[in-house]
This record gives sequence, C-alpha cells and structure tokens, in this order.
Amino acid sequence: MARRNLTRTKMRSLLASLGIVIGVVAIASLGMFGVALQYSFTQNLGNVGNQLTVYPNSGENVTELTERDIRTIRREASATATVSPVKTRVEPVSYNREDEVRETIYGVENPEELYEAKEGRVSPFRSGALVGSSVAEAHDLHPGSQITVNGTSVRIRAVLEEGDAFSPTNPDNRVIVPATSFSQRGYSEVYVMESTGTQANETAMGIRDSLNNREDRVFVQELGSLVDTIEEQFQIINTVLAGIASISLLVAGISILNVMLMSTVERREEIGVLRAVGYQKRDVLKVMLMEATLLGFLGGIAGVILSIGAGLAINHYAVGDAMAVFRLPNAWYVGAAFSFGVLTSIVSGLYPAWKAASEEPVDALRG
Amino acid sequence: MTVIDAQGLVKRYRTGGQTLYALAGIDFALEAGEFVSIMGPSGSGKTTLLNILGLLDTPTEGTVLLEGQDVTGLGDSKRTALRKRTIGFVFQHFYLLPTLTAVENVEVPLLLDSGPQVKKRARTLLERLGLGERLDHKPDELSGGQKQRVAIARSLINSPKVVLADEPTGNLDSETGRQILDEFRRIADEDDVAIVAVTHDDLVNEYVDRTVHLVDGTIGRERKNGG
Ligand SMILES: Nc1ncnc2c1ncn2[C@@H]1O[C@H](COP(=O)(O)OP(=O)(O)OP(=O)(O)O)[C@@H](O)[C@H]1O
Ligand SMILES: [Mg+2]
Repeated sequence: MARRNLTRTKMRSLLASLGIVIGVVAIASLGMFGVALQYSFTQNLGNVGNQLTVYPNSGENVTELTERDIRTIRREASATATVSPVKTRVEPVSYNREDEVRETIYGVENPEELYEAKEGRVSPFRSGALVGSSVAEAHDLHPGSQITVNGTSVRIRAVLEEGDAFSPTNPDNRVIVPATSFSQRGYSEVYVMESTGTQANETAMGIRDSLNNREDRVFVQELGSLVDTIEEQFQIINTVLAGIASISLLVAGISILNVMLMSTVERREEIGVLRAVGYQKRDVLKVMLMEATLLGFLGGIAGVILSIGAGLAINHYAVGDAMAVFRLPNAWYVGAAFSFGVLTSIVSGLYPAWKAASEEPVDALRG
Repeated sequence: MTVIDAQGLVKRYRTGGQTLYALAGIDFALEAGEFVSIMGPSGSGKTTLLNILGLLDTPTEGTVLLEGQDVTGLGDSKRTALRKRTIGFVFQHFYLLPTLTAVENVEVPLLLDSGPQVKKRARTLLERLGLGERLDHKPDELSGGQKQRVAIARSLINSPKVVLADEPTGNLDSETGRQILDEFRRIADEDDVAIVAVTHDDLVNEYVDRTVHLVDGTIGRERKNGG
C-alpha cells in the first residue's frame, strides 16, 4: 500500500528522494574524496614514517659522524633495522661529455639495503656509479653509459627504482658511488630503517640520549611524528567534509518532512476511513512510516549507486586507480551515508505519521 | 436480537462560551436484520448519532450496549478493534483509496491480516453486488453507483452485525440510488445485518423498516413501515 501511495504522488516522491540521493552522494563522495586524498598522500610518504636520518650538528662544529658514532647508532637501533651510513662530497660531474656541473656525490657501502635497480644490478658495488631515475632520464643514461666524475671516467652500473617522494633516501636525483672511493673517513648522514613508526621513534630517542648527552653532536630527523600529525589533520578534514555533507541530508530530511506532511493533509479523509474500518493508530503509523522508509531506501540505493560512480572518478584522478574505490574505509563511508539517508527519512516521516495516526477519525471525516 | 441498545445519549460541544447539544437525550435500539433510516434537518445530530453508534465517537452522557456489552467507556484501541469486528461503514463520498483496485479496496479493512480467503470473499461480495466485471478497475474508472457498491462491499467484508451509512445515496441519481437501496434491503434480509442509513432522501423510506426523525438532537415522531 505504501508503494502505491508513493507512485500516486510520483513527482513529489521523486523530489523528496532526490534530496536523499543528493545527501547520500554528498556524504559518501566527500568521505571517499577524503580517503583518496589521504591514500594518495600516504602512498607518496611510503615508509617515511619508519625512517630516521642522523646528521652531524654543524651548529656545534660537528661536521661529520665517526665510525664510533655509527657503532652507537647500530647499538641503539633494533636488531631488524638497517643502518646505512652515507658519505657525501661535491664534485664536478659531466654526463655524455656535456659541460661539467658541480653535483653532490653520495658514497654508499651497501646500496642494496636502500635501493633496487630498475635497469642493471645494484650489487656487488665496488666500482662504477648508480644513478637515480630522474638523472638517468635527463641525460639518457643506462647501465654501461659513461659519466665523468672529477675528471675520471665512471661506468653506470644501474639505474635505480624511483623512491618515495618525501623520503630522505630518495635516490631520484642522485649519483651514487662506492663509499670506498671516498678519501674522507667520516660520514655526512646515516639512514636508519626500522620496521614500524613507533620503533623508529624509540630508536631516535635512544640515539639522541647516547650521542647528545654532553653536547648536541647530532641532529636526528624522524618523520614518524610528522606523519601522525598529518594523519590527524586528514581525520579532521574528513570530519569537516562529512559535516558539510550532513547539512545536505538535513535539507533532504526537511523536504521529506514536507512531502509527508502534505500527503497527510491530502489523505486526511483516507486515513480517517482506515481508522473507521478498524486500523489501529499504530497500523496507520506503520503504513506512513513504511512510506517514509521506502522513500529513504530508494533514495539511498540510488545515492549509493551514484556515489560508487563518483568514487570511481575520484579515485581514478586522485589515486590513479579507479578500483581503489572498493577499499574498506570507502565502504564504511558509503554504508554510513546510506544508513544516514534512511534514518533521516524515517525521522522526518515520524512526525507526519504520528500526526496522521492521532487525528480523531470523526474529525477527519467531517470534512 | 438487539444488536445495539443506546440509552440517554447526550453529546455536548463546548464552543467558545456556549454549550451546544448535538444530541440531547436519545434512546435508540436496533434489532438484527433491521433497516432503519434517520432523517432530520441539517445540524440535527444525525451524523453525531451515527458516529456514536459506530464507536467512532463517545457520548458525553448515556450508555451504548453492543450485543449486550457495555462499550461506553472503552478506550480508542478497544473501540477500534470492536469496529473492525462488528461494524461496517458506508460514507457519502465513498472514500475509496484511489491507488487500489475495486477488490483491493474491499480488502482494505482486513488488509493487515489478509489471506487468500479475504481476497475470495472480496470477489464474491463484488460479484454479488453486480461488479463481477469491474474487479480490477481503479475507483476513477468506476461510476458513482459502482463506487458506492464497492464501498458497500467493503463495509461487509468483515461480516459485520451493523452497517452504518451516512447519506449513502446523497451523491447518486435516483435510479442508481434505488439500486443501492435494493442492495441494502437484500443485505438486511439475507444476511441478517442491521442497517442504519442517515438520509435526506425520501426515496429511502420506501425500503426501510422504520424511520427515526431527529430534531435538534431529540427524537421526533417515529414512523413504522408496514412491510
Ligand atoms: N466537533 C464539533 N465541535 C462543535 N460542534 C460540533 C462538532 N461536531 C458537530 N457539531 C455540531 O453538532 C451539531 C450536529 O452535527 P451533525 O454533524 O450531527 O449534524 P447532521 O444532522 O449530520 O447535519 P447534516 O445533515 O448537515 O450532515 C451541529 O450543530 C454541529 O455544528
Ligand atoms: Mg451529517
């Protein structure tokens, strides 16, 4: 019966559920938008949260880290961590006989700990050079190409896989040579890779405690806490987005309230007849609430379908993978939007239904 | 057997400072199978009386016995349940649900606990009332007389003891009116259902057992029909 009543006032029911549709789509797609943003950001961050970098504190006239410092760091790091000391120096480099430019050259002992090869092989690494993908692309370098570093010709061993955008170890713009080719003894930075962000944090504190107990010898940079802060920010952004979307649901609720109120006024006599022929108040209430629920359901389902469409588009552009829409947090948002839609229409159907049910049939039929 | 026995019915309305007596002390009894008409000028309390007899309304004073049971003080849900069991209503404006077909409209009173028997009974009733060809038509595809017959079928679906009709022929031409009154007469005789019809229409009096005249909320002269 509820279904029939709705088809009678097709246009108005359509408008009312359109409100719900828009509300649901707004909540779901804004939610998914937030998730996609967060996802693409963490994708770029990669394992940054698990990494920390130790630099000598030049402010305290410490220009390099000694072998002893490295041993201390290894001791502070957990057993599963990789500790990669790196040397740097600035030297004139020439690619493909072009003009020489001054570049920072990185000296790494075990590059396989940090990098993977896109072309060629990373280890063993006793001579030659590794180049990052951006450098390789800019100068058309491949394994076997020759570059000149400080006047000596060096063979490219490998082009490295792209790194995480924000990582301090990102090799994309680097030229890496074996650490053994450096005459200097000290290291200019040390990368420590832990398996979790919390572990990285603990290690960072341990390193600070043991190396900075007298003077601030080193500067420990860790991004874990930064990552946490950023994720909290995203949480806030998502909540705000959901809040904005709820306003549209509120509007939808009001429009359903309106539809139901009008329909109770219009069907006053009909409802009076139902009461006269033996429908209890709660029966009328049920029929009216059924209508509201049906409106909410139809609107909700249409909304979910549209949201998934919108989600495909959002994820296609933001994450570059449309299928990413079928991830758990998105399902959560879509589900929440759907239930909010249905709930809104039930709640806004409640008052008109109650009003219709509680009118005395005598009054309704006197009309 | 007395189906309805109402004693000393008073219905007062307090509007503004005045008190208005819609009913001012009425005794009314109704036997099974009796067809009674209530006549009287507008505002004399006909609808009010009918509503009280039909448990739609409660009297300010007086008692109503339905099949010997005192129903005067019952609450809304009990009265609603009794209406569903023992009373059928026919309204002047038919009040059919426009989205439902004729059969479905007849089923409405029992729709919430409907089964195959209800549907069958609805069909039988409509066929008996000569609407066998119109079972699946919507109300806007039916004439006034056909609509009223659907309404009568609806009032009979719950096998009531009493059918209450407020101006059942008010919206019909006299020819159609006669057909409807024939149906009422037949129902009263064949099914032993008591029928009360409020009317302005003298035509009705040819069909009823007796006519009750209401004037200003009191019963005027009562005329018994010979037949
Ligand atoms: N809810 C109410 N509040 C106040 N007065 C009412 C109410 N219902 C009915 N009345 C009054 O009670 C009196 C009887 O009304 P009722 O409807 O029974 O008349 P009626 O005989 O059916 O008239 P009609 O032939 O015009 O239908 C009228 O004067 C009416 O104004
Ligand atoms: Mg009246």
